[in-house]
Amino acid sequence: MKGKRVLIINRGEIAIRVAKALNELGLVSVGVWTDNETEPPHLEYCQEWVHLAGNNNKETYLDIPKIMKIIDDYKIDGVHPGYGFLSENRDFSEALAKKGIVFIGPNPEAVYKMGAKDISKQIAKEAGVPVVPGSTGEVATVEEAIKIGNEIGYPVLLKAVAGGGGKGMRPCYSTEDVKTNFAAVQREALSSFGYAGLLVEKYVLNPHHIEVQILADKKGNVYHVFERECSVQRRHQKIIEEAPSPFIGNDEAVRKAICETAVKCAKAVNYDSAGTVEFIMGEDKKFYFLEMNTRIQVEHPITEEITGVDLVANMIKVAFDQPLDFKSQDDIKIQGHAIELRICAEDPVTMLPAPGKVVGFETTFPQGIRFDHCIYPKFTITPDFDPMIGKLIAKGFNREVALRKVRNALDGLLIDGIKTNIALHKVILTEENFVKGQYSTNYIGTVKPQEKVAPKEEIEAFMLKIAAIELNQMGGKA
Amino acid sequence: MRYYFMNQEMKDFAIDVEVMPGQVLEFTHEGQKKSLKVKNLAGKYFYSFDGIAWKKLATLGVNETLVSNSEVYKVFRGYKPAGLNKGGAGALITQMPGKVVKLFKKEGDTVVKGETVLILEAMKMENEIKAGVDGKIKAVSVKEGQALEAGFLMAEIEEV
Repeated sequence: MKGKRVLIINRGEIAIRVAKALNELGLVSVGVWTDNETEPPHLEYCQEWVHLAGNNNKETYLDIPKIMKIIDDYKIDGVHPGYGFLSENRDFSEALAKKGIVFIGPNPEAVYKMGAKDISKQIAKEAGVPVVPGSTGEVATVEEAIKIGNEIGYPVLLKAVAGGGGKGMRPCYSTEDVKTNFAAVQREALSSFGYAGLLVEKYVLNPHHIEVQILADKKGNVYHVFERECSVQRRHQKIIEEAPSPFIGNDEAVRKAICETAVKCAKAVNYDSAGTVEFIMGEDKKFYFLEMNTRIQVEHPITEEITGVDLVANMIKVAFDQPLDFKSQDDIKIQGHAIELRICAEDPVTMLPAPGKVVGFETTFPQGIRFDHCIYPKFTITPDFDPMIGKLIAKGFNREVALRKVRNALDGLLIDGIKTNIALHKVILTEENFVKGQYSTNYIGTVKPQEKVAPKEEIEAFMLKIAAIELNQMGGKA
Repeated sequence: MRYYFMNQEMKDFAIDVEVMPGQVLEFTHEGQKKSLKVKNLAGKYFYSFDGIAWKKLATLGVNETLVSNSEVYKVFRGYKPAGLNKGGAGALITQMPGKVVKLFKKEGDTVVKGETVLILEAMKMENEIKAGVDGKIKAVSVKEGQALEAGFLMAEIEEV
């Protein structure tokens, strides 16, 4: 495996995370830069840089022929897709397989079966895994969507077949809603994932979003690396995740059941990489299969923190037919508690993306903090990409300690020049329901922590801004 | 040196600052005087209002905006501009850079407050740009597919 050349078709913090793992394992990390981001911070960690020409995602990170040409030109042995972009694209993994290039991810068959949500649901059903009621396949027209909505009852969820990360998803509370949202979700699906197919399914009320990390090798061994709770969401996108789940808590029977069900799902598609089986859990702790993400996920660090299993490194190892770092399920144990906050360039109150340029960036963290990010002074956040710019992860002996650490870490995270959701995280971390661990995916919508975000001490902020400008005028001689 | 801070609603503040020896900045805001000490330690800047408790200063570069939790202020060193952007409640101005994906209204159409005029895509999200007032579309200055900078006047509505 050593010396193999691996192309990272991604950017931002995940490209950095993957490059670190590749370098550590003795592989050659090859990063890309594009015309609308000529100096991406991940290149700092990559051993070689390649130009991926183009101004938008369709011409760069989603352009399969262009990427295949780079693979030829630069004698690439393997590709790590990160998350998003081509990570769950069956055409891409098939094209690589045909050429004999290693795709650091599952086999194309598994990507195909689990990547398309309509097929994955059918497979889960056949494997005896409970699923949420909904359309059995793609829904082509508004009329068909309305018909299914009337059958299973409202509210229903319109979602992109190829979607993920909460993008291309909208709840509809009536036939009227379906009519207004159908075309919009199709457009979003097409622009984000390159495929416009939609599904309709039942929208479960007050649910918990709980997912199980899977790690499997090419010899048919499938292991789970326990669960994560990702119920704090806005616009169906996670902003805070924790492991283990406070909702499951000490209920080891439920934990065992959900983890083993996840393994069953992965085995049903001969899964052979790192992946995540997502479930929706009702208030009665009954859970339904939602989907399987056949890639590394944004929130993988919390699982790494509580188990000590390096998911990215193991994912790379199995792709090159190397053994996993552990030998049996019993080798993996939960130790402590981890919380991850997604730091996004967005307004903390409206939670809308707020692109801009970072002018100041400083960190002072307590012990036990991990910050996976791509922030640096003068970093420009463009509207072309997701607003997530970093992940703050705290590990503690228990949930209380992890909470204490992550609160303290937030005070030491200073980003100036752009709006970020740091102020919102500060409110959530001291909010009663969250502190008790009692929250569902409706948390943001019902508790509304965003309404408690206080404006900064304006006059003091003004003075600090002036101080910074004056220091600069003096050439930093102060 | 006098500094002006101005937000989108044209609300503005002025603060006078004087640089004193010993890395001390003296501020005067509405007659109130306050001093701030600055120190360079291990390549980073720290500040203190009392000379006892010190905190790290995040802002190392010069930029023309101050971002607080909820508002963005433009910073002007030494002068006060006449205005930031034109147009009242009927002007639809981009709050962030984005791309127009769909136009629902054209010149001469009537709109009611809250009605969607166009869809602006930014960061893979579709944002519905709604009319702020009841009225008639006076001008549409964008096309579908057009990429826009922040602060761009997309459409104007004439109040009726």
